[in-house]
Amino acid sequence: MALKGLDIFKLSPKKNCKECGFPTCMAFCMKAAQGSVPLSKCPYFSEDAVKKLSESSTPLMKTIDWNGHRLGGETVLFRHEKTFVSKPLFAVSVDTEMDESQITARLASMERIDFDRIGERMYVESIWVSYRGCDPGTYAALVQKAAAVGRPLILDCRNERCARAALEACSGAQTILNGAGPDNYEAMYALANEFGVLLGVNAPNLSDLYDTVVHLEELGCRNLLLDVTAATARETFANAVLVRRSALKDSVRSLGYPSIVNMTRFAAGNSRLQTAFAALFIEKYGSIIVFDDLTMAQALPLYGLRQNIFTDPQKPMKVEAGIYPINGADENAPCAITVDFALTYFLVSGELEHSNMPVNLLICDASGMSVLTAWAAGKLSAASIKKFLEDYEVAQKIKNRTLIIPGKVSVLQHEIQELLPQWNVVSGPPEAVQLPRYMKDREYEAAAKAVEAEKAACHVASAPQAADMSFEQLLETRVPKIEVEDMGVRYRGRGPDSKTFVTIGERIHCISPAIRKAMDERDPAPILKRAAEQIAAGAVYLDLNIGPAEKDGPERMMWAVKLLQENFDNVPLALDTSNRRAIEAGIHVYNRSNGKPIINSADAGSRISNIDLAAANDAICIALCSADGIARDNDERMRHCHNMLERGLALGMSSDDLWFDPLFLVVKGMQDKQMDVLQAIRMFADEGLKSTGGVSNNSNGAPKDLRSVMDSTLIAMAMMQGLTSAIINPCSRRMMETIKTCDIFKNNVLYSDSYLEGV
Amino acid sequence: MSFIPKKEASAAKIRTVTLGRGDRSVVIGGQNVLPFYSFDAPIAHCPIIGIEISDRIAQWESPGIREFYHGCTTLSDYARRAETMEGADFLVLHFESADPGAGNRRIDECVCDALAIAKECSMPLAIMGCKNSEKDSALFPQIAQALPEENLLFLSVREEDYQTIAPVANACGHVICAETADDVNLAKQLNILLQNAAVDGSRIVMNIGTAAVGYGYEYAASTFDRIKAAALAQADEDLQMPIVAPVSPESWSVKESIASEAEEPTWGSREERAIQMEIATAAANLTGGADAVIMRHPAAVAAVRQFLDQLV
Repeated sequence: MALKGLDIFKLSPKKNCKECGFPTCMAFCMKAAQGSVPLSKCPYFSEDAVKKLSESSTPLMKTIDWNGHRLGGETVLFRHEKTFVSKPLFAVSVDTEMDESQITARLASMERIDFDRIGERMYVESIWVSYRGCDPGTYAALVQKAAAVGRPLILDCRNERCARAALEACSGAQTILNGAGPDNYEAMYALANEFGVLLGVNAPNLSDLYDTVVHLEELGCRNLLLDVTAATARETFANAVLVRRSALKDSVRSLGYPSIVNMTRFAAGNSRLQTAFAALFIEKYGSIIVFDDLTMAQALPLYGLRQNIFTDPQKPMKVEAGIYPINGADENAPCAITVDFALTYFLVSGELEHSNMPVNLLICDASGMSVLTAWAAGKLSAASIKKFLEDYEVAQKIKNRTLIIPGKVSVLQHEIQELLPQWNVVSGPPEAVQLPRYMKDREYEAAAKAVEAEKAACHVASAPQAADMSFEQLLETRVPKIEVEDMGVRYRGRGPDSKTFVTIGERIHCISPAIRKAMDERDPAPILKRAAEQIAAGAVYLDLNIGPAEKDGPERMMWAVKLLQENFDNVPLALDTSNRRAIEAGIHVYNRSNGKPIINSADAGSRISNIDLAAANDAICIALCSADGIARDNDERMRHCHNMLERGLALGMSSDDLWFDPLFLVVKGMQDKQMDVLQAIRMFADEGLKSTGGVSNNSNGAPKDLRSVMDSTLIAMAMMQGLTSAIINPCSRRMMETIKTCDIFKNNVLYSDSYLEGV
Repeated sequence: MSFIPKKEASAAKIRTVTLGRGDRSVVIGGQNVLPFYSFDAPIAHCPIIGIEISDRIAQWESPGIREFYHGCTTLSDYARRAETMEGADFLVLHFESADPGAGNRRIDECVCDALAIAKECSMPLAIMGCKNSEKDSALFPQIAQALPEENLLFLSVREEDYQTIAPVANACGHVICAETADDVNLAKQLNILLQNAAVDGSRIVMNIGTAAVGYGYEYAASTFDRIKAAALAQADEDLQMPIVAPVSPESWSVKESIASEAEEPTWGSREERAIQMEIATAAANLTGGADAVIMRHPAAVAAVRQFLDQLV
């Protein structure tokens, strides 16, 4: 938890001596809290205060690396607040009361659990070796036997002599000695220290546990685990929750250690009950969970649950790209392709299994996005599907040439068909639940036959490939002449030195069916109509989204740029597509008299090279502060921001030409992250950077009458934080009035009673 | 005592909802702490277990379930036997066959079953529809009117069908389960819509969407966390309804519970896999804050009962 300036101020000398270079202690403390000046600049902080302050800058829960496994290091109590980071490890137990054959059987059955689940190896990570009263030699022999399996051990033993024998037997390496209590912690610490192992602490109650840890910390011991197990499940759960909650919420650092939950103490011999409790402690808050034994029947649901709970909520769970044969599909079965978002995979593969029809499910890399999101982001396109088929040598491995694409992107069918002439591309149903019927009724076969017939019917004379033509050639042969029509709307321009907010009208977007159709058919009317409305409403820039347009991006973009600029006094444009060549083509015909073109957009991941494109063409570039997927927090946002800034500056760009986009997030779903986004805008502004973003994303899915209220309120808050531009719907009167009013309050434009009138 | 943990009982609490009538009733909800946080404050009402029986129960492929219901022929036979299951608190009649795509069983037959069971059994009853909105909209009001004042629980109404079902069920004195899919905002919205439709807040429970563990369960888990946080910490009255989690229909339809031993030779007994999947899913839902779970297998029910007894 970051320290607030006032917390530091409370501990400061409060003498305002100015030796630090600041006028007051308060000013100094505020700067120190931001980390912009080290505390050591003030010589008058007491030793105690410095210790307190440095302590409070260390994490609340210790992270322990144990044989490549991370334990602890959690920062939140609930995964939706940020993410959990260290999945609990599972251990099975052997003890000194078991006979030879039981031990052998237990260890052997443990080793049988070893499987892959969505790219994660699932196995029992450790062995719990429990001392139940015997001579040192017997315990050491058991430890040796367990060590031979090659998994790290937890020695559950409070008897010092036996613990020493055990540590010697397994040479101490890689183990946890779970043996310290209120009565023996000094001896056990000495032992743990001697062998360099981690120390587990258990006590009859939480208060004693706390005291024991404090004593151990005074001895210098920090490599601790807290065995929170008590005689009953109820008390154990209380301990597990209170330890974690006190550490993270109430900053009780002496409880900020990973925990051990030993179910053999309160649910011994009952595997079904242990499953139920394991589910409880996976969610709350076991770091190591000890079972008697673990069978496959238990492992399947529990590892699944663990994997679910410990996925990062901001990063969609991905499955490995590849070919997944379903219902015994072989090379003669048809192929169905979809994205690598885990939920999509589960839904689609489940429904395909229900159909009982053999099919090869192809999972392509789409950064873990759902079908529509991936399509909109250009991660699921004709080219990406073609590339996937090549990379995975699908045509070599599978003879059937039917390729079923998700119904939600049926618009891609023709484009894919053109890129993959040897395949028969058919569109599946829009929803996964419709798959069993679609497969059983063999709809795909009929569709594939129809495609086959169509292919045979039209042997198109091969036209010269557009990809080989220069922009000039394309302009001459593929771009229709522009006819200028007077729509009674003039673009008035914006003073080059104006400080007012830059609005980018979002209404020309190919996600709108009317616009998509108009672009496909090069029909000017619908596009001009929307442009005229936005310009009349006062938009400064117009965004021009032509979609991925893999087939004809350059000629489509050139046509649209010329159409808009020739009709509306060279209105400045944001060229919005994932197709790089289309952007270059657009800039080729772009007229700069009313402002540089904007490239929408680059990010810090696979699209970072759009910054190079902007630099090479003297364009403005919208820089999304994300790599692949939404940034988890502002540290990550700012890291991306600085990455892109550095790249742009190195290429000779002015920092004013990089407009950083924090990515506005949807309230329905990410309500608790809204203030983070606003804070990021403040950070951009504090560094003197410009910013922009698609504000209306916040209200996606909200009723229409709420959207303009939400959008305009958010824009007011964002402008207060220093936002300099936004991609918005200028036809919303409330939005434009809010922006104009904010510009008044920010003193960007001089007030008059008529400030709302005109544009 | 050197260390005294802070207690975090909240001023707000989950509403109590009564299922069933008179001496056959059971109360859920009432907590002002997170699930099983008895160290913060006593747990007002222990979560309960509903036993799912279905008009397709004869097709369930579990030797343990078959053995338990040995000799049963009519749905009332099954219901009476289910009442004897160790750990059972209420009965859930699942009219799976009413689905137009899976038998399209007639409504009067379903009503007949419900009447017979209400007469012969003593536990509170829940009526689970076939998930076809049109059919449920026709079926639920009929049963609601046939058994007035029985305080039945209807699972579930959704945004698309609440308008036909909710007023009738409410007027006849029943409880409605509002179903949404893993989305805290939608859950709140449907509760508001129901109350706008004159349904008393104390007659609403929620199915906030569940999944078998391992199958995107993180969405359910976080929805639970966020709803409980809103209900208790933010005192949001529109989310203070108790939660009912239909565990068994989810847990029994995933691969771990279906795949035969021949298909998955390393996985061991299918029966045990299905039981463990049901237990893990139920326990996860209870950990999240379900006030009632719906289950099938006697062995799974027994284990979850034990789990509850030890925690509350």
